[in-house]
Amino acid sequence: MPQAATEQPYNRPDRRHDRKPFLSRLMKQLDVQLMVWPSIIIIFVFAYIPMYGVLTAFMDYNLFTGARIFDNPWVGFKHFAAFFDAPDFGTILRNTIVISLLKFVIGFPAPILLALMLNEVRHMLFKRFVQTITYLPHFMSWVIVGGVVMSLLSTENGSINIMLQKTGAIDESINFLSIKDYFWTILVSTNVWKEIGFSSIVYLAAIAGVDQHMYEAADIDGASKFKQIYLITVPSIMPVIIIFMILAAGNLLNAGFEDILILAQNPLLRPVSDVIDTYVYRVGLQNQKYSYAVAVGLFKAIISIGLLTLANYLARRSGNSLW
Amino acid sequence: MKGMGRAVWKPLSIGLLLISLIACSEAERGQPEPSDEAPEAAATETPRTEDGLYALGREPLYMTFYAHYGYYTMPKWGADPSSAWIRDKLNVHVKGVSAEGDGKLMLQKMVAGQQLPDVVWGERDADLERLREAGLLVPLDEYIAEYPNLRQWAGEKIINLLRSPDGHIYYFPNYYSNKPYGNAGFVVNKRIYRELGSPKLETTDDLYRYLLRVKTMFPDAVPFETGLAKEGQGIDQLFSSFKEDNFSFTRYFAVANGERMTSIYEDAGFRESALFVAKLMREGLMTQDALVQTEYQVSEKLMAGKAAVYASADPMRMIMTADAELSKADPEDGYFFIEPIYKEGLDPARIYPGTYNVLGWNAAAITTSANNPEAIFALLDWMTGPEGSAVQMWGPPGEDGYWNGFKEDGITPAFTSKYSSDPQGLAEIQALSGDMIWVGNTGYLDKTKSEYEATLPDEDQNWATYWQQNITWRSQGDATPFIKLIPPSSIEEGRIYLKLKEIWLAARAAAMFGRTDEEVLEVLDDAHAASVEAGFDLYLDYITKRWQDNLRVLNND
Repeated sequence: MPQAATEQPYNRPDRRHDRKPFLSRLMKQLDVQLMVWPSIIIIFVFAYIPMYGVLTAFMDYNLFTGARIFDNPWVGFKHFAAFFDAPDFGTILRNTIVISLLKFVIGFPAPILLALMLNEVRHMLFKRFVQTITYLPHFMSWVIVGGVVMSLLSTENGSINIMLQKTGAIDESINFLSIKDYFWTILVSTNVWKEIGFSSIVYLAAIAGVDQHMYEAADIDGASKFKQIYLITVPSIMPVIIIFMILAAGNLLNAGFEDILILAQNPLLRPVSDVIDTYVYRVGLQNQKYSYAVAVGLFKAIISIGLLTLANYLARRSGNSLW
Repeated sequence: MKGMGRAVWKPLSIGLLLISLIACSEAERGQPEPSDEAPEAAATETPRTEDGLYALGREPLYMTFYAHYGYYTMPKWGADPSSAWIRDKLNVHVKGVSAEGDGKLMLQKMVAGQQLPDVVWGERDADLERLREAGLLVPLDEYIAEYPNLRQWAGEKIINLLRSPDGHIYYFPNYYSNKPYGNAGFVVNKRIYRELGSPKLETTDDLYRYLLRVKTMFPDAVPFETGLAKEGQGIDQLFSSFKEDNFSFTRYFAVANGERMTSIYEDAGFRESALFVAKLMREGLMTQDALVQTEYQVSEKLMAGKAAVYASADPMRMIMTADAELSKADPEDGYFFIEPIYKEGLDPARIYPGTYNVLGWNAAAITTSANNPEAIFALLDWMTGPEGSAVQMWGPPGEDGYWNGFKEDGITPAFTSKYSSDPQGLAEIQALSGDMIWVGNTGYLDKTKSEYEATLPDEDQNWATYWQQNITWRSQGDATPFIKLIPPSSIEEGRIYLKLKEIWLAARAAAMFGRTDEEVLEVLDDAHAASVEAGFDLYLDYITKRWQDNLRVLNND
């Protein structure tokens, strides 16, 4: 069978009716299986096995028991109750929801817009240049990005303050990183700046897959560029957008961690910057209240699953669901 | 069949490649460095000297060393002349365990994974105390009684202070000293000071007027630079200006008041200093980035000569390079230390911008994971003694070394001619000593160091040593009675402490940005009320008791 190497048995449309024994099917797909199994094993080892640790949310965990977690006393929902009763609970939940919604509403469409715009750029060199420049920040860690942002915004010597003063927009330097009202804006725009280029790669790839004949046909029918974007490009990449939207919904409660930790250095900002993850880090790891931190994290995970399911349900009605 | 073969071979070879990659990386990680890892040798008789002490060097001593600091990485053992000498002569092989940038997390991981290093080196604070409470540290009392050096150089008082509530000693102190040390204080920019007519700069009022003039005359400069005010730098020094005998500072959110520790929020001196700080902030007289800036930003301002007055718990580190940089361009430029600023009416001799305690900086503790704790103690004791100190400070002894044996007294190194002819090489050895001296003997090192400095011509004398001897050491307060006050988080008081700390950090930031005096005082009053609600009184009782315990130990000798 000379074509065996090019044939793709695993992708045959009639695989549901393939009633060959399991093992021989496995052997046939060996190359694909070999690619999948390492990931499955890694997920199993690092995501599923440690999951028994969530049991400590219902215990008073003592670090010195190590992995023998069943030596700890069971305390039921004590830590959950403590979290719901904590004076910071309202603030933290509000910040988590507001920051993640802002990131979603602004950060999600931004790369799509950039991709649409880049797609219309006809000068190849310029397009590549912009693409490279915009996705570079993605590869820098938050410590570096945070350092750059903090130097830009600093009151003394900060480029932004100097620029605003030189142009006469302000008289006195503004202490950007110590004023609560500015924090969300700074946080969200820094995030968009860091991730916009990298996220847009997926959409650019999807756009590249759109059938060029449709544009030619639309041209002949006299559709303007905007019409073409609106009526051809966007609907064509809609499945990709929806899949990413569902995934983003699952991340809704991930308001961010490193970015907030690094940008909100000033304790003054805590009323607007404290989110579930920073709270877990501060209270759980730094103050060593492990069980409490696990309970808070579990609470977040449960809400996230709910959001993901809901988003998927909504998407299924439009025919583009994840499962 | 040929095609079939390819279909099987391709995935197989991919699989093999993957496996070999994994195996390779495992091998790399698992491969012990021959000199640093303990071989699984059968236990043999412990070698001893005639007086029954462990004889270093007769058998190889392997140990792992973990420093509980995110920023610290142990230099490779044996890469510098001093540790290479120790490795070769004493057959000691130390392997560093890195904190991976986050000491707190790393220690927790090692505890939970039950894989402790042989030696933990860090602050004598809650993290190490938890190890002790869990019975993971080896008591050192017997060894201290047997081995000569720590007992002799630290003395009875320091050793008694080291005692834990259970009566045993678990910590081997580092840089213990009976004399004041430390660098906290106020530094002034020479050029700005001169151009403003070198005015009197002694009281807080002088300082305020001076800062005002800096702001008008040098709009480009930062009048008062604090360093990382988030950690109290600069503003703690201002607090000291408003309070005599301020030994406990802000670290316990409480001040000594007669026989008791009482709320810092109600302390007149602290309230005044909070108003002063808020005024400086409001009027743009101190760095507006105080709470958010990084060390790099601070250093940049200092290097550019942009800070008019700089105060911090340890200005020396950054100001030393900044001074060198500025005075290179213009010898008249640079920085100088001033006597601590005090509020008019207070006794300047009782103003301490920084404190020290006789136990020194931090401590080394031997864990129960160590195979032979006595051998490790013997090594630490040797390191803190004259020979160990000298080797780590001045390199290996010998005719081609910087010193060759001791003088008649048995402790003063007999320096060779290379000592004065090759300061560069010596500086290289000493640059590492900060990271490699774990059980430093301040008394011994300082004495020999200042003798060395005295032999140098004036212009070669170390800038830092000059100001330490003339200003900073003299103006550090003895906070020994206030050590070990923080309650462990395993008890109620410890949990309260953590809440109080959150309240404190938030209040200090809010007070700094208070728009009016009333607002500042309100922040402090609210913080006090919130602290009381969190259990302030219970906590204050606890630290009062610990403080009084310390006083009792100190007064007994």
